[in-house]
Amino acid sequence: MSKYSLIYLREPGRPFPGEGITMNNQEIKANLNLHAVLQNIEELTVLDREAADMVKNWDLSIRFAVRKGPRAFLNFSGGRCTYTEEPVRKPTISLYFLSHEHCNKMFDDKAAPVILKGFTRIGFLLKDFPKLTKRLEYYLKPAEGLLSDKKFLEVNTRMTLNTAVFAARDLARGERDSIMNAEQIGLGTMMIKVLPGGPAVTIDFGKNAISVKKEETSQPRCALYFKNVKIANDFFNGRIDTYSAVACGDVAIRGLALMLDSMAMILNRIPKYLS
Amino acid sequence: MKSYKKSLSLFQRAAKVIPCGIYGHFSPAHLVIPTAYPFFTSRAKGSHFWDVDGNEFIDYMCAYGPVVLGYCQPRVEAAARAEYARGNCVTGASPLMIELAEYMTAHIKGMDWALFAKNGGDVTNFSVMVARAATGRKKIVLIKGGYHGVQPWMQSPGHMGVMMDDHANYIRVPWNDFEAFEKVVREHRGEIAGFMATPYHHPVFQDSELPAPGYWQKIEALCRKEGIVLIIDDVRCGFRLDLAGSHNRYGFTPDLVCFCKAIANGHPISALMGRDALKNTVAETFFTGSYWFSSAPMAAALACLKELQRIKATEVLADRGKKLAEGLTQAAASHGYNLAFSGEPAMPYFRITDDETQVLHQEWCAECTMMGAYLAPHHNWFMTTSHSDKDIKKTIDIADKAFTIIKKRYGSGQGR
Repeated sequence: MSKYSLIYLREPGRPFPGEGITMNNQEIKANLNLHAVLQNIEELTVLDREAADMVKNWDLSIRFAVRKGPRAFLNFSGGRCTYTEEPVRKPTISLYFLSHEHCNKMFDDKAAPVILKGFTRIGFLLKDFPKLTKRLEYYLKPAEGLLSDKKFLEVNTRMTLNTAVFAARDLARGERDSIMNAEQIGLGTMMIKVLPGGPAVTIDFGKNAISVKKEETSQPRCALYFKNVKIANDFFNGRIDTYSAVACGDVAIRGLALMLDSMAMILNRIPKYLS
Repeated sequence: MKSYKKSLSLFQRAAKVIPCGIYGHFSPAHLVIPTAYPFFTSRAKGSHFWDVDGNEFIDYMCAYGPVVLGYCQPRVEAAARAEYARGNCVTGASPLMIELAEYMTAHIKGMDWALFAKNGGDVTNFSVMVARAATGRKKIVLIKGGYHGVQPWMQSPGHMGVMMDDHANYIRVPWNDFEAFEKVVREHRGEIAGFMATPYHHPVFQDSELPAPGYWQKIEALCRKEGIVLIIDDVRCGFRLDLAGSHNRYGFTPDLVCFCKAIANGHPISALMGRDALKNTVAETFFTGSYWFSSAPMAAALACLKELQRIKATEVLADRGKKLAEGLTQAAASHGYNLAFSGEPAMPYFRITDDETQVLHQEWCAECTMMGAYLAPHHNWFMTTSHSDKDIKKTIDIADKAFTIIKKRYGSGQGR
């Protein structure tokens, strides 16, 4: 598995009285790795020709499962990859992690998963799949200069946007500070869109669940628009002064701005776990 | 339609040397849609200001509250100018400080002493220290969504630079929910130093809420019974609802009252006032600032408070606010929209209720601003005694035209 250096900067303090169960840093990190990072393989196999060539003949599914923790599934078929968090029946390969820390070490290239199923696919796991994840790393952790390439910038931006909203969803579900911020958001759908033609994501704060879709919605309660891909990329990588960008019209907020205010506080916490 | 070319150019220059160009509550980022608003002003007079591009606006934000008599009110400015000429920031206090404290204790109901600082946040922060010093307790009860300044304990957890530990001793309860406060008191008996709230609830982005009948009286009674210091943050409402303090309007007596904004019609000064029982505690609680003794703002405050009394300002503000509310809601109705008014007429909050996303409201405020009536969509507005009938009529005419524009753009439905 490719290396994603995951940094967390401070230990969690004691929870507030009456607060629900929250995750510790290793648990949060594992959730973000399995959900926010791994799902990008979907886009990778569509947007990157090299990745598409790798998977064109793959016909298998992989289950990633952490003991008492998150699950994720990748299904390769017909030259495409589908990511899901819902159980896939009889996956071809089942990878198990004894702990959240074990999972995180694998993402840091410092541990291997326990193979519960798919021993006959050892060659695939040792040779083919790592090539795909290396390709993912190529886009998620760009080498210097790559972002000046327009096509690369588009792919990186799309993946960064998707990573951010999936990570925000998981933080809002289980990280103490983010849970408090999510409570301020209230109910409703928020959209983040890069103009003029996307990509766009929506994150829906429902009564019982927070869900994410990699598509736009026609009636968001709140929307954040980026004037172009470059501005979106700079925003998600902390390279612009957001307030100035909003004032100048490079970043536009419409609708219930308070929702975005709280969402921004959650987004701000992602670098504590992913970088 | 107005052009903001110079404003934008100045903003771009500012952003190079000032974090976020214009920071804090003046940041254009809070104004949805910011490109509809001027960022820099050149001058102001009465209820109007002019931006650097030469555009004129009837102003309903009034510097976000400090201006109550209109910009550059002659009596206030003359008093301040005279004091600047005599010496504003000098080694040793000015006798004006005594005169101002005497005037305020004579006019603010139930308050026996006053001291002065610069910003509202200075005195709200100090009031918490005083409550803790007086009671030896650590917890403070606040209202959810209430605003008292920008110290870490005043901001929501999760904001940049705010730690969870900053909030460890602050408990927030819903506005108008006496039972919630009672429950907190029961669960933390003997631990609560103070209860702080604004006279009525005026959050941003949401309707304002007046106190329910009996709410303040029940809060006051429980605070007295439990030895909890009752603190009123009258920074925004002060001298707009009642010249004897907003607590007088709502029929109760707090232990501490924080004033700022309208106290000196734009000159920098705030005040903490309190009951005699806390005077010695305050005397022993150290708190100060480099400019807290500057005398020109004290002179301005005296002139402003006297002028407010002379012209019966609170009646004028309520009258102007009612006229504006009636005119705007009628204009909205004539286009098939419902413009809801909430709060007090002197500080009205409006919201088009036909669109829960508030996009229609944001676009309507933006259109009004671009036609010369400066309206912020997220915050309550402020009336001044200088808003004339002519200003109000012109504002209603502008609003009517803006409703026509958004109706054409969106129909009666939700904005996008």
